[in-house]
Amino acid sequence: MSHTPLNNIKFTEVLASSVHDIKNSLATVRELITQLSAKQQFNENKDLIQLEFETNRMNNSLVQLLELYKIDSAKFSLDIDDYSVLDIFQEVKAQQTPLLQLNKIKLTIECPENCYCYCDYNHICNALGSILNNAQRYTNTQISLSSYQDHGFIVFCIEDDGTGYPDQLLSIDLNNIPSNWISGSTGLGLHFVSTIATLHTARNTTGYIKIDNNSALGGARFRLFLP
Amino acid sequence: MKLNLTSKTILIIEDYPVMRKAMKGILHTLGAHAIVEAEDGITAINAMKQQNFDIVLCDYNLGEGKNGQQILEEARYKKLISFNSLFIIVTAHQNARFVLSTIENKPDEYLAKPFNAQQLLMRLEKCYARKQILYVVEREIEQGNLARAIHFCDQLIDQNNKAFRSQLLKIRADLAIKTGDFDKATSIYQEVLTQREISWARLGTGIVAFFQSEHEQAITIFQELIAQNPMLMECYDWLADSYQAIGHNSDAEETLNQATEISPHSFFRQKKLALLAARLEHLDIAEKAYKAVSNLGKYSTHQSPSDFSGFAKVYSKNNKKMEALQTLNSMQQHFPNNQEAELRAAALETEIYQKMEDSKLSEQAFEKVQNLHHQLKDRLPKDLQLDIAKACYLNNDIETADKIIISLVHNHIDDNTVMDNIRHMQSSIGRENSSEALIQRIRQELININNQGVKFFQQGLIKEAFAVFKQAAEKMPHNKTIILNMAKITIHDLKSSGINKENLLLAHQYLKRAKQVGVAQDKIGNLQLQFENITNPQTS
Repeated sequence: MSHTPLNNIKFTEVLASSVHDIKNSLATVRELITQLSAKQQFNENKDLIQLEFETNRMNNSLVQLLELYKIDSAKFSLDIDDYSVLDIFQEVKAQQTPLLQLNKIKLTIECPENCYCYCDYNHICNALGSILNNAQRYTNTQISLSSYQDHGFIVFCIEDDGTGYPDQLLSIDLNNIPSNWISGSTGLGLHFVSTIATLHTARNTTGYIKIDNNSALGGARFRLFLP
Repeated sequence: MKLNLTSKTILIIEDYPVMRKAMKGILHTLGAHAIVEAEDGITAINAMKQQNFDIVLCDYNLGEGKNGQQILEEARYKKLISFNSLFIIVTAHQNARFVLSTIENKPDEYLAKPFNAQQLLMRLEKCYARKQILYVVEREIEQGNLARAIHFCDQLIDQNNKAFRSQLLKIRADLAIKTGDFDKATSIYQEVLTQREISWARLGTGIVAFFQSEHEQAITIFQELIAQNPMLMECYDWLADSYQAIGHNSDAEETLNQATEISPHSFFRQKKLALLAARLEHLDIAEKAYKAVSNLGKYSTHQSPSDFSGFAKVYSKNNKKMEALQTLNSMQQHFPNNQEAELRAAALETEIYQKMEDSKLSEQAFEKVQNLHHQLKDRLPKDLQLDIAKACYLNNDIETADKIIISLVHNHIDDNTVMDNIRHMQSSIGRENSSEALIQRIRQELININNQGVKFFQQGLIKEAFAVFKQAAEKMPHNKTIILNMAKITIHDLKSSGINKENLLLAHQYLKRAKQVGVAQDKIGNLQLQFENITNPQTS
């Protein structure tokens, strides 16, 4: 078999445009699932719930892949402005509401109304959305979103009452996640959020993430620190 | 705020049936029932002609035909959407505000796909909340009442509403630039930037530098901003303008080339690149850009006959005579019964047929040029006048050609691009430097007139100053400097010697005229503000 070179087209470009295509097809699939489930007793059908959850995850992963590709090939800009933290939490909640209802998970938001944060609204919402999506998978009954200020940083906190992050994940450097971890959706999500966080800078400080099992609810705790 | 969609009329524009159904389903769950669907631009525009919609949800990418931005442009241009309506562009881009953004005709919101019912509801609520607060300011801006807009904007800023503070400051700084109040604009941008590096504020400092003719400084700001934000398309446009302002045309071309590669869908950017590349005789780049202009133009309200004739000129220079003739042909199909288009075609055809050594067709075309020119004379765009002058030179009608050139030099002496185009045209047909003496003489004449007028003005001899410019205006009716000075004097007179109807009318006319001949907004804005404050003293 001969080796066929890809002429002038870079493989990453092919990959990116294919991901884009798949994402569009997936949108159709998700819509068809919605239409199908409208005809059935959706809430009774466990398979459909699973299907909805999986396709949502796939969509998150594809969006993250595309954004990471853009960052990598310098086709990326952050659109920073001053946004209400409560608005961000509500958008993140809205993003995940259908699934939260299906899984009967209780979600609470704790955040003062006059709390503002310099960030890229869409990217931060997507990043937190993927963490919340993941939390739903591992939590038992509830998840809490909260925010506080810490040494000049705004902290976005997502806590659940599940079994917590596995020890192996807790021991790795989040700013340098090994590739065998990235292949899992938790890993890709964390890698993505960590990347977006580090792009948020102010003077000499940079955004970062932390994970531990010190959740007030007894499970995993994820924190995003933005300067 | 809880939004109720039951009473809202909504238009969905989406080419893909499954997604259309999805959007409709989402809206249904939110209680909406007055929903109209459209699959493309034509259907959408027709629907908007039939009824007014409260909300338009429009996908950006609609396959063949108009894209979402072009539908918005046409709808605004034909006044098919009211000021209270929301126009939302739905897109796969996560940062559409940067990538798709245009200077004019911004949608109320960009919404990233996919979204569910809760997300849409939240976004709509936000849009309405924003509209409610900013309505008064945006309405005055739209109607051109800058003084009132500033007045209301300042009031809102004083109310210290944190949720809209950033947006209000941005609008206020834009208004300051529009009215030539660069100190105010700078102070807003600096205030924002001391808090955080925000791209719109940084961009603003560059724009101020540009208008204050600190072009080198503007270039540095724009370059650094692009390095940080490669997707901030507006910045490329400003960088290109700054390069052009100091004559670095190749750099400007390179900048626009880069920008069109990242975001190829802007009609104006492609057109700017086409014109610039054609001037630099980079025919391949010009051809590519003109192709994009013609494709985007098909569905744009901005398309004009000059896009076709410009393209034909590039083909002709590149020795693609048949393509050039075809382009002129399609211009006339796009603009039937349009004398300007006919004249543009004839002026170029005579040259192309000459190249093809078909003297009969060339003469026929030239006859047409003469007839149409005679009929339309005073109402022709300057680039077309130049084309006609060239056709006249090529057909040995030197007298007419010279007359046109003299008039162009008189009217546009303060526009370096026009002078360069005259020189360029003349040297392309072996008449190098034939207008240099004329250009220098008229330039000096304008300086003298200006000095004389300003001298009278400073001595308080307002009538005499006005007379100097008025006399000059007879010779140079389209000259920007002269018209601007006349507007300045009448407004000054209104302020110092009191209001009378005649002077009010005069001031109004000169401001309008200044806009017509293309005086830059930052130069008129301040006068406009003074004029508004005279007619509407309560807002000052």
